[in-house]
Amino acid sequence: MSPAIVILSVIAAVLAAYMVIAKSPITSALCLLGVLIMTAAIYGLIGEHLIATIQLVVYAGAIMVLFVFSIMLLNLNNDETDYRKNPLIFFGSIAAGLGLFTLIVLGLKEYFEKHHAQRLLGMFNHETVQKLGGNSKVLAHALFTQFYISFEVISLALLTAVVGAVVLAKRKVD
Amino acid sequence: MTNDMFIQILAAFLFTMGLLVVLLRRDTIMILMGIELLLNAANLSLVGFSNSSHMIEGQLQVFFIITIAAAESAIGLSILVNLYRNFGSIKTQSATTLKG
Repeated sequence: MSPAIVILSVIAAVLAAYMVIAKSPITSALCLLGVLIMTAAIYGLIGEHLIATIQLVVYAGAIMVLFVFSIMLLNLNNDETDYRKNPLIFFGSIAAGLGLFTLIVLGLKEYFEKHHAQRLLGMFNHETVQKLGGNSKVLAHALFTQFYISFEVISLALLTAVVGAVVLAKRKVD
Repeated sequence: MTNDMFIQILAAFLFTMGLLVVLLRRDTIMILMGIELLLNAANLSLVGFSNSSHMIEGQLQVFFIITIAAAESAIGLSILVNLYRNFGSIKTQSATTLKG
């Protein structure tokens, strides 16, 4: 277990936990930005450079700018605390979430102790990826050969989303 | 505890926190941010498992998920602007009229 991953994970976990209870939406948005950057750093540390770059550019760049822009546009400066008015619901939800987390961790422990050693290994280990020209080259080659149809369908979906967003923003619902 | 297991536990924790944001908060913009956190946790889990099994299918799946998440947040925020224009607030309890 490398210490860099532990430090990044602890920062990400603290920021994610603060995001749940932060009063103003802009604090939560900045916490989410921190979590996304820490996740990108973890991707880079385990050797997935293309995914780390895409995470930084698309998630931490484009999507978070969109969120912060919306918060500024809608002028959401009122502190939101009414979700804490009913303590039964508030603490009940937190207890249920922690229970779910415990169950997932127990399942993961079972898997890593008993079944992880017998998993089927693919051919792209570290040395092969280095020999084929690096992580980005391997992923791009697979993207434009094996997953070409999916790539085209995703581009169609993006086009539809752009048209839908423009129509939604222009229409006046009565 | 290995690196792989640590990454999976972090993904589980981020997923739980995203679920709590979606369940607890009353602002629609917070709910959208919670969905982003949930997607990010699922991405982290996919990349961790795919990396430890020496495969690349997980990374490509994450590539597609990030694209769809960008489209989803663009649509969601334009719905939110519409909501603010019609109801004057983006709290979930203010939008109670289901009308076409």
